[in-house]
Amino acid sequence: QQQVTVTGAVTSKDDGAPLPGVAVTIKNTNQGVATDADGKFSIRTSLGSTLVLKALGFAPQEVSVTSQKLSIVMESSKSDLNEVVVIGYGTVRKKDLTGAIANIKGADIKAQGVSDVTKSLQGRLPGVTIESAGGNPGAGTRILIRGVGTLGDAAPLYIVDGVQVPSINNLSQLDIQSIDVLKDASAAAIYGSRAANGVVLVTTRNGKSGPPVVQVNANYGIQNLAHRVDVLNAEQWANVSNAAHDAGGLTRLDIAQNPSSLGAGTDWQDVIYRTAPVQQYQILTSGGGDKGTYSISGSYTDQQGIVTVTGYKRYNFRAKSETTKGRFRFGETVLLTREKTINMAGGWGGQGGNPVGSAAKMIPVFQVYDSSALGGFAGAYGPVVNVANPLAQLHLEDINTTSSNVLTNVFGEVTIIPGLTYKLNMGYTANFTTDEDYQKRHTVGTLFTHATNDLSLTKEETQLLLLENTLNYSKTFGKSSIQALAGYTYQKTDYSYLLNARTDLPDGLRNIDAGRGTSTNQGNGLESALLSTLGRLIYSYDDRYLLTASFRRDGSSRFGAAYRYGNFPSVAAGWNISNEKFFSSLTSAIPVLKLRASYGILGNQQIDDYQYSAVISSNINYVTGQEQQKWFGAIQTAFATPNIKWESTKTSNVGVDAAFLKGRLTLTADYFVKTTSDVLLNVPIPGSTGSISDPVVNAGRLRNNGFELGLGYADHAGKLNYSVFGTFSRVKNKVLELGTGSQKIFGGQPTHHGASSTLTEAGGPISAFYLIKADGIFNSQEEIDAYAKNGALIQPNAAPGDIKFQDTNGDGQISDEDKVYAGSPFPSFEYGFGITANYQHFDLNAIFQGTHGNKIYNGLRQDLESMSLEFNYSTATLNAWTPEKHTDIPRAVTGDPNINDRTSTRFLESGSYLRMKTLQIGYTIGDPLKNKLKISSLRAYVSADNLFTITNYTGYNPDLGRTGSIFDRGVDFGHVAYPIARTLSVGLQLTL
Amino acid sequence: KKSTLELLNPNQLTTETYWKTETDVQSALAATYGLLRDVNGGFWGVRGIETSNGRGDDFFIRNDVATLYQLSTFTNTPDNGPVNDMWNTCYRAIFRANQIMENVDKVSELSADAKAAYVAEAKFLRGLNYFILAINFGDAPINLKTAATKDDYFVAKSPEADVWAQAKQDFTDAAAGLPVAYDKQWVGRATRGAAIAYLGKAQLYTKDWPGAATTLAKLTTAPFNYQLMPQYGDNFVVAHENNQESVFEIQLGDVGGTDPWAGENSAQALGVTTAQEFAPAEVAGWFEVSPTDKLFNEFKKEKTVDNDFDPRMYATLIWDYPGATFYTKPFTSFKLIFGYSSMFKKYQNYTQKDEITGASGASNYTSSNNERALRYDDVLLMLAEALTMQGKPGEAYPFVKQIRDRAKLAPLTAGLTQDQMMAEIRHQRMLEFAREGQRFYDLKRWGLLKQEITNSDKVGKQFYVAGKHDYFPVPQQEMNSNPKMVQNSHW
Repeated sequence: QQQVTVTGAVTSKDDGAPLPGVAVTIKNTNQGVATDADGKFSIRTSLGSTLVLKALGFAPQEVSVTSQKLSIVMESSKSDLNEVVVIGYGTVRKKDLTGAIANIKGADIKAQGVSDVTKSLQGRLPGVTIESAGGNPGAGTRILIRGVGTLGDAAPLYIVDGVQVPSINNLSQLDIQSIDVLKDASAAAIYGSRAANGVVLVTTRNGKSGPPVVQVNANYGIQNLAHRVDVLNAEQWANVSNAAHDAGGLTRLDIAQNPSSLGAGTDWQDVIYRTAPVQQYQILTSGGGDKGTYSISGSYTDQQGIVTVTGYKRYNFRAKSETTKGRFRFGETVLLTREKTINMAGGWGGQGGNPVGSAAKMIPVFQVYDSSALGGFAGAYGPVVNVANPLAQLHLEDINTTSSNVLTNVFGEVTIIPGLTYKLNMGYTANFTTDEDYQKRHTVGTLFTHATNDLSLTKEETQLLLLENTLNYSKTFGKSSIQALAGYTYQKTDYSYLLNARTDLPDGLRNIDAGRGTSTNQGNGLESALLSTLGRLIYSYDDRYLLTASFRRDGSSRFGAAYRYGNFPSVAAGWNISNEKFFSSLTSAIPVLKLRASYGILGNQQIDDYQYSAVISSNINYVTGQEQQKWFGAIQTAFATPNIKWESTKTSNVGVDAAFLKGRLTLTADYFVKTTSDVLLNVPIPGSTGSISDPVVNAGRLRNNGFELGLGYADHAGKLNYSVFGTFSRVKNKVLELGTGSQKIFGGQPTHHGASSTLTEAGGPISAFYLIKADGIFNSQEEIDAYAKNGALIQPNAAPGDIKFQDTNGDGQISDEDKVYAGSPFPSFEYGFGITANYQHFDLNAIFQGTHGNKIYNGLRQDLESMSLEFNYSTATLNAWTPEKHTDIPRAVTGDPNINDRTSTRFLESGSYLRMKTLQIGYTIGDPLKNKLKISSLRAYVSADNLFTITNYTGYNPDLGRTGSIFDRGVDFGHVAYPIARTLSVGLQLTL
Repeated sequence: KKSTLELLNPNQLTTETYWKTETDVQSALAATYGLLRDVNGGFWGVRGIETSNGRGDDFFIRNDVATLYQLSTFTNTPDNGPVNDMWNTCYRAIFRANQIMENVDKVSELSADAKAAYVAEAKFLRGLNYFILAINFGDAPINLKTAATKDDYFVAKSPEADVWAQAKQDFTDAAAGLPVAYDKQWVGRATRGAAIAYLGKAQLYTKDWPGAATTLAKLTTAPFNYQLMPQYGDNFVVAHENNQESVFEIQLGDVGGTDPWAGENSAQALGVTTAQEFAPAEVAGWFEVSPTDKLFNEFKKEKTVDNDFDPRMYATLIWDYPGATFYTKPFTSFKLIFGYSSMFKKYQNYTQKDEITGASGASNYTSSNNERALRYDDVLLMLAEALTMQGKPGEAYPFVKQIRDRAKLAPLTAGLTQDQMMAEIRHQRMLEFAREGQRFYDLKRWGLLKQEITNSDKVGKQFYVAGKHDYFPVPQQEMNSNPKMVQNSHW
């Protein structure tokens, strides 16, 4: 065979960057070279031979030499055991891992055409539930790890480059190196008192030694309302309204007098929704030499909301570097973010709710504009429910939030003796938020009048200072290796709040000083501190037997002196069966088989500061005297709880990691039991105590157990390479004890004045739906008369066409005592799956995600199908029961004496769904063009988010996006929702 | 390290550092009085006015806020928000009043007399809240101490008679310790006269006719000098607050924040939204309520000696009569949208151009017009009733005469029987106190609810169930959180 010189360029599939240091050998020989700093190599071999490429962190690849110039793209390996996993205060090789950790690399979430990092994680991490926090631009997500482990704040602890942050919604995708989610006690206990709800560790990207790499991403998309609610047009509304008034014995509304003359009227949803653009630009440069690396990036996001006026803009800047000199190592991260969100009004008094709620409820007879009215908008008049013109709400009140975030982290590390290092880590974060609420003077219809221009400014400042001293020791002797950690840390948070408001500003001026009217100001501050010692030992013998033990002791200012400290130990063991001799015959087929088990105690201190002392609330004022002056008031208004202590969660976990089919199929499965004791909760106490709020107490015990599974399969068929992933999570929760023993906690108000819909009590799941059961329709007076107890009618106010409610307790009347369990807001399981494939220049990404078995209470439907109050109704009411036409929608009747619209099972729906989260098709240009353009890689793509959702749920979105109390879970408060958008976008990813 | 984690609340005093000065005690009282006008649960806040009046045969609440509409049409359920708020607010006031009684001794700078007066004032406020609980709920828990431990949070209800007994005891004690009057700076706080009047009212409600007569008669002689205002309507305008007829008055002023719904903080407006919520749409109101025509017609039953309508009708209602103006506009520019013939004028700020622009010029929803909780005209009519019910209708004449004279009505026929005199008193009470939260409770204690609701043009009257709707149910939230609580019968 004739030997020729073959040259090649090796790049990473993840970012298109050249890969230096790749070992290139000729198959079945010892001859080989390594790629240079530019990822280039040159080797003498024969055409037709095969080259084997190997690099740390990448899947080995064989390439046939078909020409003298090769361009090779290497894919990062999914099951590489030398892969490093980030754990608290350090890293560990994946094969030494004993805890349950889910992780994802930046490359897997980059540029999916969405604006938010966490949204792109949905469905991808087993055991990690990611729910939308609303459709409004910049709203982000709510993350739950292994279900709801507490009844208070169940959000995990977020750590970015070693520093605690309140949220990771404002990060830029391109900046993410990896996200590691610590799920069990073994992994998370090193974070002690804050780890009970899991820990999310984000590592931002650093540079690699080699020539500079520049990456530029651009994305432009359009968003549209994915699902709207069907409501009546003007003529239809008038007909239903008239029928309802006739049935209620009330005079018809003036505005409904001549239905046929009204036509379609105003479609209020058309009025506020729009096709909205979203755009995102990111640039990153990175590189480094022997002694140091750097990475600098910036990004800009501009997302307009599908509700007109609303929007979100974000600017990110990040710099990260690391330098080594002798036995010293230094590094830092600086992350700056500025966000501006334009929100919609929450409501204008009255009962429409926010513009989304008002757009559903506003009667279509009314007009949008009235040039003669102050402010220019028309509105409702007459004896109708106070619902505001939603467009007027959007334009006449400007509510915006500007938030600046600083995250800095600096560390210095010294190697004292080989293997022993001391590290000082200093972190500082600051958040400065300004909320502006400017209300223009207006008259909107006859119900909403605001005579002056008013401005309210709120400034909030939160600062966190972190000091960590850690000693690390790692040593290998014989077949044993140890990795030990000891540390002492201090953390302090300061918060301050200032509100300034002034009424009666001249038109066009928006500063407090310009106001001529009443001033309001408020201010307060909070401090909290945490002082901790920590230690961890990781021991491995012969890569077969693994042991991890960790301990943290935290002292928190949030608790009274006697209960300030908490201890959080954990222990875990692992067994790499695939490294055993007896397994050697199977290792080629099953390269990985590892069993893990862990047990530990985690804490939670997510309560407000100073709960242990009884305070005097001031400014509870009154008026006194002949001159009617302000009389300053102050008194204790609530009870203190001096004896509260840590909430603690005991977690047991067993898991298995395996790879089959020569590593093509990977599997990670875990089963866990989490028992939370001394749950910190505001337990409802009777109103007759006179307290204005419920005290925080250690109120009970909860248990979560669950199973989670992650699967991956990668293979190729000819030139088609593909990989498939799947996740499955199942969590069951149960309240073991609560409060007084017979304590019942109700929650989930679904409508503006509605009754609660959920119940949490011992023996049941958290926040189960607990509702009066709707049992069909009374089709005749005989049926009503027959529904009696001891000769008395159970529903005396009912007429034919009204709903029959189940008298569960048999007391002869319908009341709250008749409520029954009606389902859970938690899915019996949730899942995600996706496929990534490439064929020559084309690639495809498709990701699906869903839940199964959960229920949703549809609050907006409760309003819109009621026909009792004077607002617009759902199109379902066209099919209301009449004596001639018996249907399952109750009769139209104003006043609703039978309370057909009460909170009941009538409005409970299945919440199961399957959503296509993302579909993306990309094209990467080939070598000739690439070389001509002198670039490393260029990819163009089209992407669709939320392309379709398969569900029986009739509300805006089964992924509700309701934040707030756990007791509101699964309750769609459509009154103040922001519906989800469907987004189509195009993008470019360029690497120079 | 202890100091690192020992962080004191930088915003608020704690109970250990409070209760040092007289100002602390006075501030605690302000925080207790303030609940009386709380927009949500205060008996004289807007929801309170709707809740106390809404069930009357003279009152209509429109179909805007479903829970209020349900109250006024007798289709309410135990989870009704306004009722829950009324219950909670009463107990908040009781909790605060108890704190004053328990802590006043810690204030060393106060004399024994001053302490006694403050305790008396706290007892008046506690008694007033038990009074509100008794007329609305009947049986109710009685808390005379602040809860010290978790177990104290759960108190069973006491029979209605015990609640009344407690209210009367508190009023009796208050009357013994309160001053007859205050300095100019403190006008509006509870006086001895207020305590006596409420004691008399409690006795009347519990049918202790001799007791009521004896108690109320005290207010007609020295040291008291209560007089009816010559013009009935002056009782309902800002210009004549805390006048000679006023026995206890809820103080409202535009001297706080601008937001009536802000909750208990400095942003909270110190007025009520009642006038704005009751005003017609044409003047930026929400027209939440309306008088029924039963009330309108009751006013028309007897004309004055000048053959005009009763001046109380002009002060209470506005309707289409020649020259009628409302909010500086002719009444004809307003629309009567419910099919009833009149609107409420009483307590409305009808000399302003609308109900949004307040006295300070700022746009807000609050009215500074004090709610007159108890007036001397009530004392006179209660006294007349207490005497009549003892079979002494003749002795009632001078008191009824004062009411009739001011209303320019002809002298009452001599020699009325007990029944005839009671009929006159009932008629006068209906007119005198319309929209003032008395009618429903009067009908209840007279045993006339069924008859008078049936005999009215009230929306939802067909859903009234005798016995059941006489009381509110124990709020569902209380039922849910208090294992010792038992629901009222019929609910």
